[in-house]
Formats: sequence, structure tokens, C-alpha cells
Amino acid sequence: MNKLSDYDGPVLEIDKLSISFFTRLREIPAVMDFSVSVQPGEAVGLVGESGCGKSTVALGVMQDLGKNGRIVGGSIKFKGRDLAEMSREELRDIRGNEIAMIYQEPMASLNPAMKIGRQLMEVPMIHEGVSEKEAHARALEVVTDVRLPDPERMLNSYPHQLSGGQQQRIVIAMALMSKPSLLILDEPTTALDVTVEAAVVELVRDLGKKYGTSMLFISHNLGLILETCDRLCVMYSGEAVERGSIADVFDEMQHPYTQALFRSIPLPGADKNAHPLVAIPGNFPLPHERPPGCNFGPRCDYFEAGRCDQGQIQMADVAGNDRHATRCLRYQEIDWNAPIVVGDQTEKTKPGEVVLKIDNLKKYYEVAANALFGGGVKKVVKANETLSFEARESETLAIVGESGCGKSTFAKVLMGLETATEGEILLDGKNIEQTAIEARNTQTVSDVQMVFQNPFDTLNPSMTVGRQIIRALEIFDIGDTDQDRKQRMLELLDLVKLPRAFAERMPRQLSGGQKQRVGIARAFSGGARIVVADEPVSALDVSVQAAVTDLLMEIQRTEKTTLLFISHDLSIVRYLSDRVMVMYLGHVVELGDTDQVFSPPYHPYTEALLSAVPIADTSIEKEHIVLEGDIPSAMDPPSGCPFQTRCRWKGEVAGGLCDQEVPPTRTLEAGHQIKCHLSDEVLERMQPVIKLAAE
Amino acid sequence: MDPLSWTGKIAFLDPFLFLALGLLAASVAVWVLLSIVLPEDRAINVTAGGASLSSGPRDLATLAVKAALMATTALLLSYLVLGLIMGTGAGIVGAIAQQFLPVWIALVLLFTLSIRYKRRLGLYGKLFDSPIGMIGFGLVMFWVFTGIFGAFDLIITHDPLAQVSGLKNKVPGTALRNPQEGDFQWYLLGGDNLARDVFSRMVKGAWEVVKIAPLATLFAFMVGITLGLPAGYFGGKLDTFLSFLANLILAFPVILLFYLLVTPEIVQTGLPQYMAIVLFAFPLIFFYVLINARYRTQPAKNYLWLAAVLLPMLILYLMVVNEPGSKVNLLPAVLDRIDIPGGILVVFVSVVFVNSPTVFRIVRGLAMDIKTRDYVAAAQTRGERPWYIMLWEVLPNARGPLIVDFCLRIGYTTILLGTLGFFGLGLPPESPDWGSTINEGRKLLAIYLHPALPPAFALLSMVLGLNLLADGLREESLKD
Repeated sequence: MNKLSDYDGPVLEIDKLSISFFTRLREIPAVMDFSVSVQPGEAVGLVGESGCGKSTVALGVMQDLGKNGRIVGGSIKFKGRDLAEMSREELRDIRGNEIAMIYQEPMASLNPAMKIGRQLMEVPMIHEGVSEKEAHARALEVVTDVRLPDPERMLNSYPHQLSGGQQQRIVIAMALMSKPSLLILDEPTTALDVTVEAAVVELVRDLGKKYGTSMLFISHNLGLILETCDRLCVMYSGEAVERGSIADVFDEMQHPYTQALFRSIPLPGADKNAHPLVAIPGNFPLPHERPPGCNFGPRCDYFEAGRCDQGQIQMADVAGNDRHATRCLRYQEIDWNAPIVVGDQTEKTKPGEVVLKIDNLKKYYEVAANALFGGGVKKVVKANETLSFEARESETLAIVGESGCGKSTFAKVLMGLETATEGEILLDGKNIEQTAIEARNTQTVSDVQMVFQNPFDTLNPSMTVGRQIIRALEIFDIGDTDQDRKQRMLELLDLVKLPRAFAERMPRQLSGGQKQRVGIARAFSGGARIVVADEPVSALDVSVQAAVTDLLMEIQRTEKTTLLFISHDLSIVRYLSDRVMVMYLGHVVELGDTDQVFSPPYHPYTEALLSAVPIADTSIEKEHIVLEGDIPSAMDPPSGCPFQTRCRWKGEVAGGLCDQEVPPTRTLEAGHQIKCHLSDEVLERMQPVIKLAAE
Repeated sequence: MDPLSWTGKIAFLDPFLFLALGLLAASVAVWVLLSIVLPEDRAINVTAGGASLSSGPRDLATLAVKAALMATTALLLSYLVLGLIMGTGAGIVGAIAQQFLPVWIALVLLFTLSIRYKRRLGLYGKLFDSPIGMIGFGLVMFWVFTGIFGAFDLIITHDPLAQVSGLKNKVPGTALRNPQEGDFQWYLLGGDNLARDVFSRMVKGAWEVVKIAPLATLFAFMVGITLGLPAGYFGGKLDTFLSFLANLILAFPVILLFYLLVTPEIVQTGLPQYMAIVLFAFPLIFFYVLINARYRTQPAKNYLWLAAVLLPMLILYLMVVNEPGSKVNLLPAVLDRIDIPGGILVVFVSVVFVNSPTVFRIVRGLAMDIKTRDYVAAAQTRGERPWYIMLWEVLPNARGPLIVDFCLRIGYTTILLGTLGFFGLGLPPESPDWGSTINEGRKLLAIYLHPALPPAFALLSMVLGLNLLADGLREESLKD
């Protein structure tokens, strides 16, 4: 209805906000003394690790803290009006009309029983009371704006008929329907694949400009914040620790936590041997166990006893910069330009003999059209097509690809949970591709182990940590007595740097990173020689990621393990792997040394992937490549080259060869394989995607 | 002796109680009316809004309801306490309160200990944070203690089977005509149409429920879990077959099934016993796979555990199943130490039989959900056998919903037992169980109300308690 249009102050002004949750036992302060302001048309990023209170701030702005949450101090002003003083009806008008929110999981924001068009039309019909016809026209307009193909058909479909990326676009369209003045995005792309994420991020940025919407962008990914926002606010343990413009905070950080955060993410240039990541020591404090004084104190390199652990520390403005503030007492004393104390440098390990050889491996699934009676036409899903590669002792081979590329299927076949359709897997020269896990001997099973992605799911919640490791030892026939195994279990806890007391803990008492360490200990309990790590750190916070990655590397060095590192995150892959294999729709499209894969000539898909990964470094210039559309379904792959539907180089190949034939695997230089029809001359012309701006 | 009145010397409390009840009803009515008529409170924060809302009519009505409820509770409690002290001086209410003394002591002890140590007691301890759960648990434990103490002849006033002349269909509080030395002198809740004491029969009936319902439910769970886990975990043809079987049993009319099972012709074919052989074998199978899966890699330990657990169970199983003179007579009479009356066996078998398909479905659904977790995949990749995964990785993590369902299901079983008793199936005709007593009372219900009401009320409160308990558990298990 009447939008508070004639107001030209900041759109959102949060002043000394404190939010607490009340449980049976105690009050848990989630956000303390938090201030930020969002100017019209400005995009402000809110960055921090999980549990730092960034989503609570967003819920506080929406005045939707649930039964237990309460604002205990400070104010939230929207266009000059205090939200806490508004009545429920005024709030209802503002939500969805003036302030719109986009959540992480698109399907959770859409009503599965309603057509997309209806859901979009509801917004202006409820808030502005416009006619159905006009609402339809508006819906059509925004759906076109979010660049969805065939808008009319989109409006007529149900949410489940769209892919994840399309759903998130619809959610964005819905948020824009009422032309809000503030858009809150809570990790809007975390559930999406990298190339899709890149497209959505670009869309959000362009739309923000077009509609002049202010944005509050919540993310744990510094790279994303760099690409989308004008200013950012770093949060740690419920407090804002640093606030300023992107350039100021990224290049002239004034808080030790911000600095530590940047040092623990793998930027180009980091290397597991020469420049290892610096993990932040210690753990994130629980909300009711925060230390006195500076919350970051116990983990800070610059900690000064008697000063940093006293009283409440206030935000202080940094002189000379535009609205740049930090919550650090010593920021003027610290030499921010001091070079990083380089951690333990290590020798690059020499890869040993070939332990695992995959030759022409194929895995097809048959999907019956009619599940109940098994009749009808059977469809074949080609999950893996002609996979061939070798892995050597103490080598890290990264398998890169987005969801549906067949990397998990390959892991299943290797582990013996499925058997191969065709081809060979040779472990020490013995075929194992047709031996299901029950038929493998204990040695083979304990040789090939796996580390799983989701730390909250990888341990059995109703068994103690020690018991779970001992069970693995029992299965792998290690130790003769219970005493032996107990001793070995404690040694394994030492190996993954967990205190021995953790043996008696239940998994719910552990943090995500600690759980992942237990998962690693369990995988190595039988002296595994090949470990498949399925995105082992992608669900962890950045500071923990570095520590867990380093742990994996360290164990690998001592145990001479072959690590198959499955990931979609190219930054971490570049940091730790020796060789990289890029997969798309079941095909290996590129395979080579890390340097070969990360420099031109690229496979067109690798090029797009590299461009899509957000990098948190202002000195990096990226070529901007946005892939059109979504990954095709494996049920119905495109003819010819699997990537031809999204390839931007397709025009360079004469005679429509891409539509007709799957390209052969070509070897470019020593061990660099690529599956592409592009001629050598075209490949030669390719430019590096990532460049240092100085060069 | 004079007959007892309801409240005796504490009758002065009666007007107050009626007043409090009246007020309660009135305040609830006003509260409901107001919440329909008046609009919802809008302001969230009334710091600058002006008028404070805490004195609004809606809040006043809420306050009134609370006050009336408190007053009623306080009055009821004072009846109880005064009754405990004065005994028969406080009429029937006092006498009953005093007879239940052991139950009160046990309840107070249980609750003080549990509330004191609730933080260390896991889910059970959390129950004491939920008022609903506490009320439910209190009701359930009241009847459990009544059943146990009743079995030791502690609470009852007369032999539940003895008939005393002159007390046929007499109203509550009637005095015995010629009491012997040491006899209790009144029929507290009157006599039934065979001149037996209704109060004592109700107390004894609690034991019938307490001894059958939880055990039968446990057996149903064993069957349901042992079949539901593989159905959910493996899926495919096995699942289709077992689910079809479960649907078949669920589709069969329960009462007709019971009538069939107790028909003498059917009993003579030995069908109930064969069913018992199959159904009672499931706990054996369950514990066998449970232990074997766990200690598969350590044979010595495995055999020790298997022997220690399975041998006693096997002996018990054979004794229970064996029945001299019937089709199933495997053991020599010397060894057959446990003799379960045929009727009870039939009741047990039928209750397990009709309950297990529902448990099967719940377990199957939970297994299908949990098998997709990473820790199940981790177990698979280290070469665990399916039964280990099902029993040690899946089942413990399905316990929450199963515990809640267990409580609800004991309630259903109690009602089922009542139904069986009501139709006179399985149990001996003079059995004091609630179902039979209600049925007997029903015949003269138009003239004498009192014999049928106490067992009906007992059944109601126990099942209500179990449902509240399950609600409380569900609510608490969902919280942090």
C-alpha cells in the first residue's frame, strides 16, 4: 500500500541490536551490540561462520524470532521507523512488500501444491490489491527479468517441475514482485552448483541495479561477498568485529579475525607444500561460554593478557577510511602488513607406484518406466562413461564436477557398493570391479575407505565416538584383544589431533570439524591405502576447513595414502591436489596435472568452472563466463558431446560435429587429456581465466 | 454399623467444591466467548504504545480460568489429605484415599527422586519438564502401582471373588451385615450382582492389565521390528510381500478374528498354539541376530553371549509354548514348569498378532528414511553385514518415534484387552479384569449404575494417562 517513499535516509538502520534466545536452562545471547546501516541502493554483505548470529540478525529484521527469541536491546529502524513499535498488521504490510527475504533452500519457500504463476500473482494481489490480470502481467514481467526461458510455461508449472537453479530464480522473482526497497538474501546460492551459482549471483547483482533495491547479503563465502556487495560486515560469535567498504576490509583489514579468515582460505598462490594455509587455532566459543573481553581473544595471535580479556570492547572507527570500524583494542599497534609467518613447509612427496588403475569403466543403471510391475520401456542412465585413469601411491587426485556428473557413482563402484557394467578396476593389479563389498576380503575393504561429506551425518548419533572407531577396528581384524583395540583407538584419536577424552563422547557433543576428524580416524583405522574423500570439507566453516584439509594432507604424507578428493570447489582442489580430473555428465572431459588443468588450453567446461568459482581477492581479475541453462538430466543426455548444450566455443567447430559425435579423448602434452572437438589452433587461442590484476 | 456417606465429616468442603467447579465452568465459558468476540492482541511491544494490555478483558478472563483451576485442584487435594488422615471418618472418599496409601507413597517417592535427578536421566528426565507428560506419567504409574500392590493383596478390602450375603447390588458405602473380626466393614463402592466387592475387583483388574498389556506390546514390537527392518532396508520384493501380508492382517476384522481364535473347534486344531510358536519365536530371532551381528568378528565372545542370552530364553519359550494334552506337547511334564492358562495364551497371541502389522509399518518407514544416512553408507563401505546395520546403526536412531508409539500402543492394547473381556473372550468368567466387570455391570445398568462405572473410569484414566505420556514424550524428544 502506501510505501514510505519520500524518505532518503538509510533504508535499514540497526543500532546496538542484541537478541537472545531463552531456553529451559539459560538465556543464550545470539547477537550482541550489533550495528549496521544500509543506504538506498547499497548491497551490504554479512559474513561469518555458522553460529555467529548472521541469520539471527536477518530474522530480527523480519521480526520473526519465534517463541524463544527476543530482542533484548537496541533498535531496528526501517526507513526511519522502529520495527519493534509497529503493530502486527503494519508488519504484515512491510514483510514481503517492503522487505523481502530469500532463503537458502528454494523448495522450502515455494508451495509445492500451487502453480508458480498463482504464487507470484498472490504477492501484488494481497499487498496492493491489484486485479488478477495486472498481477499476471507483472508476474510475466519479473519471470522474464530473472531470465527464465519460456516464461508463460514457467508460470503454468509446479515447483517440482523446475530444477534447483530455476526454483531459486522463481524465489527471487517472487521477492521482486512487490518491488521491495530491501532484499535480505540468506545464503541464497549455497544449495546450488557452482556454475548455476555464478549465474544466480550475476542475476541478483544486475536486478539490484535495475530496481535500485538495497540488499543485505548473508553468506559464509568471502568470494561471493566480493562479487556482490559494496560494503560488508564481518561477524564473530554474535558480534560485528569489522565493518567497512569491500576495498577497505579486503585490502586493509583491521581486525585479527578478518585477517585469520583470509589466511585460512585457499587463494590462488597458496600451495600445500610451500605456502600451507594457516588455520585458526581452537574452536568457536559456544554462546554461553564466551570468554570475557574480546570474543576472539583465546584464538588470536595478538592477544594481550590483562587488556584483551577485560570488559566490553567497543567498535572503533578507523581513521582515514569511509565508515570503516573494527572491534579491536590493538588495531593501531598491529603491523597489518607483516608477512605471514609461513607454516611448516614440507617437501613435495614423490608419487610412488600405480596402486589403482581404472580402465574403460562404465556404469549404467536401468530405470524401469513402471516401478510396480517392472514392465514397460526401460531407460538406461549412463552414470559413468568410459572412465580411464591411474592413481599412484601418495598422490592426490581430485575429481571435480557438479552434481549429477557421476563422481559419486564412481565412488560407489570403487567401494564395491555397486558393481561395474563394463571395464576394469585394478587394485594392485587385481580386478575388483565385479566384487561386491560382501565378497571382498578384509584386506581389500580396509585398503579402500571413504570420508563422507556431511559431518552431521557421518557418525551414528547413538554410539560413542570411541565405540565407532573400535567397531571399525573389529571389522578390519585389527588387534587381538579389546585392550589392544582400545589402545589403537586412542592412538587414532591422537593421529587426528583430538583429545583422548573424546572417546567417551557422543557425536552430538562434537562440532562439525571434530566429527569430520573422527570420520577420518575411522577411515584410516584399517591402514587404508586409498581414501575416497567425498567433499570432506565443503560442509565445514572456512577456518575449520583449513585445519581439516591440513590434517588430511599430513596423514597422507605419513601413511603414503592415495587420496581421491571429490570436490566442486576449485580453490581447494588447486591448493591440495597433484592431478585433477574434471567430469561432466559421466564423462571425463579433462585430466592432467594441476598446473595443466588450471592454465590454458582448457576444456570449455573447465574454463566455465574456473570462472564461476568466487575468489576472495581484490587483486584477481576473472574473465566472466556465465553458462546458459542447467546441467542436462543424465536420463536424457544431449546427443554428441555432453557439454554441447552449454558450450560457448561450439561455433568454432565446423560441420556441427559437436551435435553428432562424442569427442575422442586427445592427449595434448605429457599426460594432459581432453575430450573436445576443438582444433589445436582454437585451443591455443584460449586466454587464462584468472589473472592477477597487476600483471 | 452405619453405611458410609460419600464424604463423611469433611462434607463441609462439598459446597466449596461445587462453587469452585461452577466458577471454573463459568470462567472457561467467558474466556472462550471473549476470544471469539474480541480481536487478537496486535501490539507486540507496548513500550510506547500507551495503554498496557495486561489488564484487558482477555487477560482478565485467562486469569480467572487459572484461579478457578487452582482452587479446584487445591480443594481436591484437601479431600485427599484429609481423607488420608481421617480414613473412614471422611466417608467413602476418605476410606479409598487411605486404602491407596502404598500407592501414594510410591508415587511421591518416584516423583521426588525423578524430579531431583531429572537432568541425569535422559529422555525420561526431560519428561518432568512437560506438565502434560507428568500428568500422564502420574496416571499411568498410579495404575501400575495399584496393579502391583493389588497383586500383593495390599489395597483391596475384600476377596474379589468372595460373595457376601445381603450385599447384592448394594450402593456404595453399604456396611457388611455380620462382619467377622478383622474384616473391612463396608463395601466401599458397593456390591455387584453376585454380591462381590466392586472396589476390590477394580483394584485386582488393574493387575490383569498391568501384567498383560506391556508384555504383549513388547512382543508385538519384537515381531514388528524383526520384520520391518529388513523390509525397509532391503526394499524390493521382500518389502512388497511383507507389506502385503501386513495389509492382509490389518484388513481382517479384529473382533471376528478373536471369536474365531477362541472357538473350541479352532482351539482343538491347535491353531492358537501354532501361532504362539511362531510369534514367540521372534524375540529369540531378534536377540540371536542382535548378538551375532555385534560379535561376528570375535567368535569366542559371540558364543558366550549367545549361550548366556539365548539358552534361558529358549527354555522359557519351550515351557510357555508347551501344553500337556494338546497338539503341542514336546517337553516331558517334569520340565514344563510354566503353565499359562489357554485363555490367557489366546488373548496374548491375538493381541500380538493384530498389533504387530502396525509396528511393522512404522519400523519399515523409519528404516527407509535412516538407511540413506551417511553413517549407514560408512558401515556399508567397511563391509558390515546387513543385520548389523539394521540393528545397531538404524534401530537405535529410530528409538524416539518407537518409544512414543510404544506408550500409545500399550493404551490400545489396554482397550483391546477391555474389549476382549467385555465379550468374555479368553479370560475366565469370574476374572476381575475391567472389560468383564463392565460387561457384567452393563446388564443391570438401568437399575444399578455403580458396578459398571469404577472399572470404566479406571480404563479411561489409564488409557488417557498413556496417551498424555506419549504426547509429553513426543514433545520433549523434539526439543533440543
